[in-house]
Amino acid sequence: MARLLEYQGKALFKRQGIPVPEGRLVQSVDEAMNAIDELGFPVAVKAQVLSGRRGKAGAIHFAEDRDSLSQAVRELLGKQIQGSPVEGLLIEEKAEVQKELYMAVTADPSTRQPVGIFSPKGGVDIEETADTEPAAIFTTPIDILRGFYYYDAMDLLRQVGGLESREMLTLANLFTRLYQVYREYDCKLAEINPIALVEQGAMALDARVDVDDDALSRQTTLDIDFAEEAGERAATLLEIAAATIDESDHRGTVHFVQTDPDASYARTAGKIPVGLDAVGAGTGLTIMDELVPLGYYPINFCDSSGNPVGSKFYRITKVIMAQPQIEGYLFVSCVSSQQLDNAARGLIKAFKELYPRTGGQPNIPCVVLFRGGWDDVAVDLFREHGISDGRWIKVLGRDTTEKETAEIFDALYREWKKETGGLQ
Amino acid sequence: MRALEFEVRSGGTIRIDLEKCESCETKACVKMCNATGMGQILELKDGVPALKHSLEEVKRGACTEDLGCELDCELYGNRAIVITLPVSKLDDYLENSSEQPTYLREP
Ligand code: SF4
Repeated sequence: MARLLEYQGKALFKRQGIPVPEGRLVQSVDEAMNAIDELGFPVAVKAQVLSGRRGKAGAIHFAEDRDSLSQAVRELLGKQIQGSPVEGLLIEEKAEVQKELYMAVTADPSTRQPVGIFSPKGGVDIEETADTEPAAIFTTPIDILRGFYYYDAMDLLRQVGGLESREMLTLANLFTRLYQVYREYDCKLAEINPIALVEQGAMALDARVDVDDDALSRQTTLDIDFAEEAGERAATLLEIAAATIDESDHRGTVHFVQTDPDASYARTAGKIPVGLDAVGAGTGLTIMDELVPLGYYPINFCDSSGNPVGSKFYRITKVIMAQPQIEGYLFVSCVSSQQLDNAARGLIKAFKELYPRTGGQPNIPCVVLFRGGWDDVAVDLFREHGISDGRWIKVLGRDTTEKETAEIFDALYREWKKETGGLQ
Repeated sequence: MRALEFEVRSGGTIRIDLEKCESCETKACVKMCNATGMGQILELKDGVPALKHSLEEVKRGACTEDLGCELDCELYGNRAIVITLPVSKLDDYLENSSEQPTYLREP
C-alpha cells in the first residue's frame, strides 16, 4: 500500500473540489517566513510524516507570530516522529472550527465492495470510536458499478441525527467528491479526519489517502515510489530499491521490509542486528523466533518465494547486505519445490562481487540453509566456488532444522566475535 | 572486439566476449544453459556461443536469468561472460548512507 503524506492527499482533495485550508509545504525557516507572507497568522505547523495521531506525538504546533513560527519550524524539522524523520512541514491557515466530523471511503473485504463511513465524532481515532461508541459510526455499502451519488450520501447522513439540513447538503456534496478521489486514484482508503464545519461550509483539516500498490503503474501522476507496506512510516530508500526488483519481472517475488531500519530497537533491546532472507514467510518467522532468544534481531524481513530467478536473489542479497548495521546474515529456505540452485547462484554472484578479495567468502558470520528442490546442487555450488571454505560461512543442507540453524549461527557468531573483535 | 550482448527481462545485460570463447575447450556456458530446468537460449555456432532466439524473445523472458553461464564460464571456461544487473536506487542508498556496509569494513 502506498500512503500519501497529508499535503499530497490534500492536493488530490483540492483537485476534486474538496475545500482544504490554504497551505504551503516548507523545508526551512526561510521558506516558512516566505509562506507566512502569503498566508498570514495564525497558522498550524504540521510535520509531514505518515504516522497517525500526530497531535498526540507533538507533530502539530500552532503559531501566532514570526517568533513562534520560527521556533515551531526549528523544533519539528529533523525530529523523529514515531521512527520517521520530519523532512517537510505543512504550514496552513488555522481554521475557525465549529464542529469536527469524520468521513471516509474504504474497501470492505467482507462484502468486496467500497463502503462509505461517517461519524459525528471527528478528530479522534476512528478505531477508538468503533470500540467505545459503535453507535456513532454510520456506514453505507457502495455499488462500484452504479457509483455513489448525492442522494446516497444524504440517505446516510439523515441517519446520523444532530446535523442541520444546510450541513447535510454540504457534507453530502463532499462525500461524493471523496468517493471520486477514492475511485480516480485507485485508493484503498480516502479519509478526512477531521472534516470541519466552518463558517463558509466544510473543509478537510487532514487527509489520509492510501493507494493500492497494484494500481501504481497506472497512477503515474502521483509520482510515488512503490515499496512493501511498512506500517505507519514512509518507505526507506532501501525498501524502495528492493521493490524495484519485482517491478518488471513477474518470475517469483522478493518482499523486503526493514523491521528496524536503523537497528535502534535491536540495540536498545540488547540484541545483535542481522540480515535475513527466507524462502517462505513462515520459515522467515520461525527462524526469527529461534534467533531472538539467542540474542539476535533480524533488522529486515524478506520472503523470496514463488521460485524467483537467480538474478532476483542476486539483487536482494545485495540489498540485504547493504544494511550497514548487520553483524551477520542468514538465508533460510523452507522445504519446497523452489529451484534452490538458482537461489545459490544469485547468492554466489552477489557474494563474489561484495567480497572480491576473498572470492566471495564473507567477513561477517553467514549461514545459508538449502532445503527443497535442487538443494544438493545448491550446496555443491557453494563448495565448487570455494565459498564454503570461508571461515565465517556455514552452508547447510536438508537435514537441518530452523532451531539448529539458529544455534549454528550463534556458535559461528561467538567464534567470529572472539577471534576478530567484531567489525570496526 | 567480437561480442554477443543481449538484454534480459529484469533489466540488465549479458555480454560474452567471443574472442575468449574461440580458445575455450569446454563451452561450459552452452552446456549449462541447456541443462534441464535452465533457459536453453545458447547454442554453438561456428565454435562460439550464439542465441537460439531473437533478441526480443530473450528480453521477454526466454533467458531465465539463472546466472549459470557466467558462473560456469568462470570456473570451467575463459571468464568471458559479464552479467550486469543494476538495482535501481541502491546506489543512491549507499551514497546517502552515513555508515559503510559491512562488506567494505574489516573485522
Ligand atoms: S564457457 Fe565462457 S569462454 Fe567458454 S564458450 Fe562459454 S562463454 Fe565462451
